[in-house]
Amino acid sequence: MLWPPLLRFKRRFPAAFPPPPIGAAAAIFFCWPLAAQTPPPTAPVFVGSEACGTCHEDIYNAFQKNPHKLVDTQARRGWEAKACESCHGPGGKHVESAAKEDILNPARLPAAQVDRTCLKCHLNQPTHVGRIQNSHARNEVSCTACHAIHRNGPNGLVPRKLAAINEQCASCHTAVWAQFQRTYRHRLPEGGMSCVDCHNPHGSILRANLQTYAADEPGCFRCHGDKRGPFTFEHAPVRFEGCGACHEPHGSANPHMLTRAEVRYMCLECHSNLPVAPGPIKNPPALGGVPPSFHDLFSPQFQNCTVCHVKIHGSYVNQELLR
Amino acid sequence: MKFALGLLALAVPLLAQETATSPPPAASPVPAGEPWLTGSIDFGYRFTSTGGNTDVYNSVVNLHQGPRLFGLDFSIIDPHKRLFDRLDVRAYNWGGDPYNTVRVDASKRGIYDFHFDYRDIAYFNFLPSYADPLLGTGLVLDENSYFSRRRMSDFTLDLLPGHRIIPFFAYGRDSGDGTGITTFVSDINEYPVADHSYDKTDNYRGGVRLEFNRFHATLEQGGTTLRNDQQVYDSTVNYGNNYQPYFGQTLFLSNLAQAYGIRGDSIYTKALFTANPFPWVDLYGQFLYSQPETSVNYTQANTGNFVLQQELLFYTGEEALSFSSAKQPHTSGNVGFEVRPLKRLRILESFTTDRMHTAAGGLFTDILLQPASAAQTLPTELASLLAVNYSQNQIDALVDVTRKLTLHGGYRYVWGDAQTGNLLVAGPGQESSELRQRVGIGGVNFRMNDKLSANLDVEGAATSHAYFRTSLYNYQRVRARARYQVTPTLSLQATFSLLNNQNPTPGINYDFLSHQNSLSVSWLASKRVNILGEYTRSTLRSDIGYLEPETLQPGQISFYRDNAHSANALVDVALPGYAGLKPRLAFGGSLFISSGSRPTRFYQPLARLSVPLYKYVAWNSEWRYYGYGEPFYLYEGFRAQIVQTGLRLSR
Repeated sequence: MLWPPLLRFKRRFPAAFPPPPIGAAAAIFFCWPLAAQTPPPTAPVFVGSEACGTCHEDIYNAFQKNPHKLVDTQARRGWEAKACESCHGPGGKHVESAAKEDILNPARLPAAQVDRTCLKCHLNQPTHVGRIQNSHARNEVSCTACHAIHRNGPNGLVPRKLAAINEQCASCHTAVWAQFQRTYRHRLPEGGMSCVDCHNPHGSILRANLQTYAADEPGCFRCHGDKRGPFTFEHAPVRFEGCGACHEPHGSANPHMLTRAEVRYMCLECHSNLPVAPGPIKNPPALGGVPPSFHDLFSPQFQNCTVCHVKIHGSYVNQELLR
Repeated sequence: MKFALGLLALAVPLLAQETATSPPPAASPVPAGEPWLTGSIDFGYRFTSTGGNTDVYNSVVNLHQGPRLFGLDFSIIDPHKRLFDRLDVRAYNWGGDPYNTVRVDASKRGIYDFHFDYRDIAYFNFLPSYADPLLGTGLVLDENSYFSRRRMSDFTLDLLPGHRIIPFFAYGRDSGDGTGITTFVSDINEYPVADHSYDKTDNYRGGVRLEFNRFHATLEQGGTTLRNDQQVYDSTVNYGNNYQPYFGQTLFLSNLAQAYGIRGDSIYTKALFTANPFPWVDLYGQFLYSQPETSVNYTQANTGNFVLQQELLFYTGEEALSFSSAKQPHTSGNVGFEVRPLKRLRILESFTTDRMHTAAGGLFTDILLQPASAAQTLPTELASLLAVNYSQNQIDALVDVTRKLTLHGGYRYVWGDAQTGNLLVAGPGQESSELRQRVGIGGVNFRMNDKLSANLDVEGAATSHAYFRTSLYNYQRVRARARYQVTPTLSLQATFSLLNNQNPTPGINYDFLSHQNSLSVSWLASKRVNILGEYTRSTLRSDIGYLEPETLQPGQISFYRDNAHSANALVDVALPGYAGLKPRLAFGGSLFISSGSRPTRFYQPLARLSVPLYKYVAWNSEWRYYGYGEPFYLYEGFRAQIVQTGLRLSR
């Protein structure tokens, strides 16, 4: 079952491995509650949420409107009337001693252990299908970094207002928020959009946790449907590298959020391959071709390529993207 | 009044009786005494005063004077749980502002979850420095300008007949329409002309989620329809941007009608899967498939005096027709797992693939009309291909060395191939390329205690093939962040990021370096004063060789520099109160100053005063200033004072 070196390791350090319920796997796969999987060696004493409320009254009261209140009331989850202990572990010892060492406090645990606590219930939901690619998960950003579990959540455990979402993301991504102070940007500071309109903080199949649209297309097309195509003549970078090849979506000092101050340089930086002999080109140093030689860059007429190449995102009619 | 009291006297015993006989209601999640309606409404009037370039002001800020609904936010909790348990409505910036939003969330436990989101965003864009081919003549205009509105709406309904099987349905619409200026290109001259465009995409989807303790699967089927119409027209004598006589003849456009009729649809399928068959392993997988298609009718009729430069052929009229269609099957997939063979060790493995092939074909017919000879018909077949296959495999190991220290290491291999071009043009019309990249990954996460934590992530890549000259090639990426809670009221955060990308291939010689450093402070200076501040310094240096089009000689270097300072601050002060009511004053704002290839100054200071008038009524006022200037394009600067005042009613 295990990789042989691991098997040897397991024989030597059996305590490092949790007991694998392999023998009963077929029976438990579908419906055995997680709570029942790993019976501890000594029976823990659960005291119930009411008992927690006697000392932690403010948290208990706020919890009554919390979405996790369901854990207290739904028997199928296996923690009926014991919602607090579903995350904090059995509280019997803590009730007796009132010592903080006798209760599990996820706020003091490493991020991975916090995530395990949440994923006990939440792993098998579509939200987390991109978790394996998620930079948050890989970089030890725990669920509780964004989700305030005890908060009296009329709208859940995370902010729902666009401005509040942006504020929360900006509290870590300060340099990104600084980009939104630039002149040309998406309308986040104005409250017209939020970070999660473009990014999925739980992970995505696309780079940078980008949201997807219509299965596997970049989320940019949700709002920019006219750029989606497919075009008769595509502009390859749009498909190969995405909008970020030419635009800085968080904000730029350049018009249209371009990555360069002048359009001609942005185009020519790619369209500058050395001329080659006629015939099929296999594996050139880069895609992009050679600029036509009649363009006089000293004339303002040719300094902004998109004046003529108006269909720069792709054309239905013209290979040169002129119409 | 007496009547009302009498009615009340009758009603109270009846109600009491009903309460006594009816079965006990289901436990309400709302604590006793909780109001059924909570929320607030902000409304008032905005005054604006602008100076400088109003077109650029509208392109950047676009706030105007008038009565406004600044915000509406309320929640209704129905203790009887009739149509819903809870309804939340949030709406912002209505009454003429360019960013209107509404969100409605309603749910009834065990029955449904409903979400509705609507945005209406106005885009005004007129930036002379972007596309002004006549700048040399002193004219300041933008030939790629537009004023459009985009409206996005999304409806999502999750039905919850059972806890395990959850059917869902969703509908979304994205539409945009607007007018603007674009160019009509006719060989060596191009003419700025009026443009009207409209596009609409409808998205329908539905599926089922199966959520069990050990696994989950989501199956979704969806489809989109696209309608995209654009009309370009002109009926004046238009000499275009190239107004010099060409072989003694003046080129001009006297009439134009150009229309694009684009129709499209797509189907798509999503299958998502997660499972934890054993406590030490989690599995993830997703399969995504879409196939968008478009078909296009294009017509064009123009009169004037034009030239076909290659044949030195002058003509006075042109009619063009084009029919084409394109199809883009696109398949993506990902499988991965997280395995925890040891208590302190996690291994994450994921494989991703993405395959997209676009094939298009059609016919373009161009008829040139000449006054003294027969019309020339120039039919052209259209056929193009774009194909890209991308794959990535990544493995990461995370080790909790101690409770305070986690180390992270990994390796990513990225490979792919691409092909693009016009199938009917051999040679330079077709190109193909490959992608081969090896990336090493490392990181440290250190949690000294509750007060101090730091993390560092490093990536280094070696690339043998990349698609584009400016693509990531041999790069190093570093990200670091530290947080320190100095006192219970003062916390600091510092971040650092760096990207160094080099492509030494002869003829390219790409040298890119950017870094960003930021420091943020949150300080509750006293019970009355809260201070938030952040400062970011960023620099970007990019050098790459390019060919000057006229000479096609290498050796030219494209330089781009950006040295920027950004700062945000907000000081929130609770002023001395009266009768239990506490006014608040907040002031601060943001600034952005940059030098380099496009030096810019953009200041946005603000001050807000909130004075409670009554328990549920407050008078809110805000002053905001926008100041924008660019040394290279002085004519684009603007300044604006904005004052808004109004009432906030809350419950």
